[in-house]
Amino acid sequence: MSFVIATTIDEAIAALAAGARPVAGGSDLVVGARHGKAPLPGDLVAIDRIEELRCLEFTDAGACIGAGVNHHTIEHHPVLSTVYTGISDGSALVGSPSTRNVGTLGGNVMNASPAMDTGAPLVVLGAEVELRSASGSRRVGLAELWTGPGRTSARPDELCVAIHVPAPAARSNSAYLRLEYRRSMEIAVVGAAASVTLADDGSVNAVRVALTAVAPTIIEVAGLGGGTVADVAAAAQAAAAEQARPISDVRASDAYRRHTVGVMARRAVEAAARRALGEPVSVPVNRAIGIGAAS
Amino acid sequence: MSPTTTAPRFVRADGPDKVTGSGRYTADLTLTGALVAKFKYAEVSHARITKLDVSAARAIPGVFAVLTQDDVPDVRFGPFVQDRTLFARDVVRFEGEILAAVAAVDVPTAQRALNAIVVEYAPLPVVNDIEAALSPDAPLVHADWSDYGAAGPIVRDRNDASMASIAKGDVDKGMAEADVVVHSRYVADGCHAAPIEPRAVLAQWEGNKVTIWTSTQVPFDARAGVCETLELPANRVRIIVPHLGGGFGGKCGFHYEAHVAALARATKRPVRLVFSRREEFVAPDRRREGIVFDLETGVRRDGTITARKVWLAIDNGAYTADAGFFSQLAAMHALGPYQVPHAFAEAHLVYTNHQPSGSVRAPTAPQTCWALESHTDEVAKAIGMDPVEFRLKNAVATGKEGPSGQVYDEIGLVDCIRAAADGAGYGQALPDDEAIGVAIGWWPSFSVPSGAYVKIDGDGSGQIITGAQECGTGAVMTLRQLVADELGMQAEDFELVYQDTSVAPYDMGATGSQTLFNNGRAAVAAAGQIAEQLKQLAAEQLEANPADIVLADGAASVAGTPSRSVPIAELAGIAAGGELLIGHGSGAPPAPPEVVGATCVGDVGMTAWVAPQFSCHAVRVKVDRDTGVARVLHVSAAHDSGTIINPVGATGQVEGAVLMGIGQALTEGTRYDDEAKQRNAALLEYKLQTCADAPPIDIHFVEIDTPNAGPRGAKGLAEAPNVATAAAISNAIAAIIGTPVRQLPMTAERVWSTVNGIEGSPA
Ligand SMILES: Cc1cc2nc3c(=O)[nH]c(=O)nc-3n(C[C@H](O)[C@H](O)[C@H](O)COP(=O)(O)OP(=O)(O)OC[C@H]3O[C@@H](n4cnc5c(N)ncnc54)[C@H](O)[C@@H]3O)c2cc1C
Repeated sequence: MSFVIATTIDEAIAALAAGARPVAGGSDLVVGARHGKAPLPGDLVAIDRIEELRCLEFTDAGACIGAGVNHHTIEHHPVLSTVYTGISDGSALVGSPSTRNVGTLGGNVMNASPAMDTGAPLVVLGAEVELRSASGSRRVGLAELWTGPGRTSARPDELCVAIHVPAPAARSNSAYLRLEYRRSMEIAVVGAAASVTLADDGSVNAVRVALTAVAPTIIEVAGLGGGTVADVAAAAQAAAAEQARPISDVRASDAYRRHTVGVMARRAVEAAARRALGEPVSVPVNRAIGIGAAS
Repeated sequence: MSPTTTAPRFVRADGPDKVTGSGRYTADLTLTGALVAKFKYAEVSHARITKLDVSAARAIPGVFAVLTQDDVPDVRFGPFVQDRTLFARDVVRFEGEILAAVAAVDVPTAQRALNAIVVEYAPLPVVNDIEAALSPDAPLVHADWSDYGAAGPIVRDRNDASMASIAKGDVDKGMAEADVVVHSRYVADGCHAAPIEPRAVLAQWEGNKVTIWTSTQVPFDARAGVCETLELPANRVRIIVPHLGGGFGGKCGFHYEAHVAALARATKRPVRLVFSRREEFVAPDRRREGIVFDLETGVRRDGTITARKVWLAIDNGAYTADAGFFSQLAAMHALGPYQVPHAFAEAHLVYTNHQPSGSVRAPTAPQTCWALESHTDEVAKAIGMDPVEFRLKNAVATGKEGPSGQVYDEIGLVDCIRAAADGAGYGQALPDDEAIGVAIGWWPSFSVPSGAYVKIDGDGSGQIITGAQECGTGAVMTLRQLVADELGMQAEDFELVYQDTSVAPYDMGATGSQTLFNNGRAAVAAAGQIAEQLKQLAAEQLEANPADIVLADGAASVAGTPSRSVPIAELAGIAAGGELLIGHGSGAPPAPPEVVGATCVGDVGMTAWVAPQFSCHAVRVKVDRDTGVARVLHVSAAHDSGTIINPVGATGQVEGAVLMGIGQALTEGTRYDDEAKQRNAALLEYKLQTCADAPPIDIHFVEIDTPNAGPRGAKGLAEAPNVATAAAISNAIAAIIGTPVRQLPMTAERVWSTVNGIEGSPA
C-alpha cells in the first residue's frame, strides 16, 4: 500500500514503473471503488498536482490538451469551445459543476467507458493520445487505444500526458449530443458526435460520426459520404441506427437505443453543419437545441 | 407572483446549523466504545429458511454479537396487521428482509461476520405481480395470514391485506343515465422517498434504560415499536432525533431502533448502524406503492358526471406497514374531488414479494391523482369539452357534496383551478410540441392529539419543549412565531427543545402534514397559559385589571394607556422568585364533520376529511417526439391550505413537492427483475430530479377562512403540493402526443413507445 503525490511527469512515470496506478480527479477510480466496481489499487500515484499535465497549446497543427485539464476548463475555453466545439459539448455535460472541476480529460479517456462524453467528439476530430513511460513516448489513435469497456491498449507503466487534436479544416466544425433523462448527474443513454466540413456551396464535403454507449467502446460510423446537409444527416441517422450494437438494460431497451442514437447522429450533423456555417450554436448543444427542450 | 420576493424574512432556528455544517446528524454522533452494526439480508424474494447458522460468525474475533429472531422476544407486530417480526422467522418474503444483525468492532470485521453466516433456503413461488396476486390460485405471501392479529375494521382475505370500498347511490343507474362512458386502465410503478440522509441509529443502555438516537420522522412511534418488540415500558426507552436529513415519508414507522438496541444490550456497548445508499433503497417501508387502476366515468354531453366506478389494487409489498389505510385513501383519491352522484370504489392492498410500502409523501395520492386526472382529460375529450371548464363544472365546492357524501364547508378548489390556469397562461397559443396540462387534487388534514410545553425563565428568554419532529418542512420552526405572537414577544426570544421523547409530550411526528395543524394548536394553548400568568403579574404591577392587559412588543401594558407598561422580561424576573412561568398545552383536535345520507365509507382511516386541502397544478410541458423526452417548462401551482402562517416555509414546501412530483412523473420508478428484486437501487439508475431540471414555479395560495381547522385557520401543506404535479404533466403530454401514457413514470422510452404505438412495458 502506497500513495505518492507526484509533482512532475517524471516522478509519476517512476511511480508507474514501480507498479502504482495513476489517480487524477478520482471521480471514476475512487467512486467506482466505493461502489464495488473494482477495489482501489494498493499503490496509487496522484497526478492532479502536475502542472505540466495542465498544458493547453494551439499550433497550426492543432491542439495539445494536457491529460490533467479538467472538464470545466474545456467547457469554457475560448478556442476549444469554438473550434474544437464537440469536445466542449462533451465536457459541459459531465456530471455536475463539482464533477467537471475534478474530472480530467485524461481520466475520461483512460477510463475507457463506452458512455464517456468526450470520446465520440475526440474520435470525429481524429484525436490521438500521447502515452509516456520510462522507455519513451508514443502516440496512439483512439480506435487502437480502447479495446473494451474499461480496457485500453496502454501498458500499466504508461502515463497519458496529452491528447492531440488535429486542427479542423476551414469551414468545418463539430458537435456532440447525448440522450439524457435529466440535466445533471446523468450518464449518456446514447450519444453521437459529428464533425462536418462544408464545401463553398454549403453542402457537406466530409463528415465523421461517432457513437456513445451503443457498443463495448465508442464506435465510428462507417460509409458516410458528402451531399446536402439534410441528406448527410439522414444518412448518418440511418447508418448510426444500423451500425449500433446496443444492449437492453434498466436505462433503455436496445430498440429505443438504436432509434435514439440515430436521432442523436442526425442532430449532431445538423448542429456541426450550422456551426461550420458560422451560426452560433452554444455549448453544450444539448441545451442549445434541446434534448427534450431548451428553456 | 414571485413568492420569494414578497415573503417576509424568516430565519429557521435550525438553518445556520445546517447551512454551516455545525449541525449534527445521527451518523455524526460517536460514543466511546461504540460498535458497528450490520444486517444480513435475505437477498432472495421468497423462500423457506432451511438452515440459519451464525456460530462461525460469532466465533470471529472482534464480533461481539450476532442476533437472530431466536435472540429477541418472539413478537409479531405491525400498526394495522401484525404480520412481521424483527428478524425473519422461518420464511423470508422480500430481498431486504433482515435475517441477522451483527455488532463488531469495525466495518470489515462486521462484513466478515456477515459473510460467515450460513443460510440455506427452499425456494417458494415469487409473487411479483399485483393483479396476479389477487387470483384465487395465487401463491400466498403469508400462508398463516388468517392467524395474524389486525386492527379492528381491516377486511382481509388471503393476499388482500386490506380491502376498502366507497359506495354512494346506484352506480349502474348512474352509468345508464350517461351519454358517454369512458373506461381507462393505468399502471403506476412504485417509487422511493430517497431522502439525502440514509437511516442511522445509535443505541446505548444505562442500567435498564436505553437511549436511542435515530433518524426517524416519528420518534413516538419508534419508541412504541421498541417497547412492543423488546417488551419494555415507555419510560425506559428514550428516543432522541438529532437533525434529520429529510424523510419524505421514508422514515415513518418503527424500524431498526429495536435491532440496534438489542445489539447494544447483548454487547453491553453502544452500537451504531448507518445505512448505505443501497440499504436505503431495499430496506422496508421506503417505497411509494405501485398501483393498478381501472376507472370508468359516465358523463352527459353537457359535461355533467353521472357516475364513477373504480377498481384499484395497491402493491403492499411483503409486510403491512402504515399501508393498512391506503386502500381507503386511494379509493377517495380515485373518486376524486368531484361531485359524483353515483359512485363505487373498490380498493385492495395486495401482498407481493416486494419491499413493503410506506407513507411516502401523500401515500397513494400522486399516482391515483395521475390516473384519475389523466382519465378525466379522456372524459372531457370524449365529449369535446375543455378540461379546465370540465373541472370547474364538476369539482367539489363550498356547500356541495363529494363522492363520499361529505358536504364541504368553506373550500377554495374552484379558486385554485382559476388561479393555476391563469398563472400558467392557459389558453395561450403554443408550438405544436408544447401544451399546458391541468390537474386537481386533495388531501385531508389529520386531526390528532399533540402536546407542548412553554416556559420563560427569569431572564425573559423562553423555551418551547415540543414532541413535534422537524423533518425539514420548517413546521416546528414556525412554532416560535406562533408562540411569540401569542405572548407579544419575538420568535428569536424562544429556543426549541424537540425530538426527545423523554422530555416532551406526545406528538404523532413528521407525518400526515400534521405538525403545524396539531402541535401548533398545542403550542398556542401552552403559550396561552403563560399569557394568563403574565397578565396577572402585570395587573398587580400596574394596578389594573388582568383583562385590560395587552401583551405586545415585549411588554405588558394597560389597554388604551401604553405608558402604563412593564417589560415582559421584568415580569419573568418577578415570576422566577415566585410562581414559575410554565405552560402546557394540547387542545382538543378538531372533530371530523358528520356525514349523513346513504353513503358507505370504510372506516379504517377517516369517514370524513377534516379541513381538506385542495390544489390545482397547471404545467407547461415540451415533448421531443423523436426521443420521447419530456421537459417541464413552467409550473403554476395553486393551493388552498387555509391560512398561510409562514410564507417562506410554505413556498419551500410547494417548490420541493413540485420537483418531487416532476421526478415521479418522468424519471422516478422502481423496476423489478423476474425474481422481484429491485433493478435500480442506486441514485444513478433511480433518477431523482436535480436543481438543473427545476422549472420556474409560480405559487398561488388561495387563503380561505377555514372553519374547524388548525391554528389561525391553517391546514396542512407538506403533502398536498405533491399530489397533482404528475397528473398535470400527464395531461400536457397527452395533449401534445394525442394519447395518454398509461404507465407511471412516463419515461422517455414510454412516451416514445406511446407516440409510436409500441406495445409492452418499456423502461
Ligand atoms: C457524479 C459523477 C458524474 C459523472 N458524470 C459523467 C458524465 O456525465 N460523463 C462522463 O463521461 N463521465 C462522467 N463521470 C465520470 C468521470 O467524472 C469522468 O470520466 C472524468 O473525466 C474522470 O476523470 P478523473 O480525473 O476523475 O479520473 P480518475 O478517476 O482519476 O481516473 C480514471 C481512470 O483513468 C486512469 N487515469 C487517469 N488519468 C490518467 C493518465 N493521465 N494516464 C493514464 N491513466 C490515467 C486512472 O488510473 C483510472 O483508471 C462522472 C463521475 C461522477 C462521480
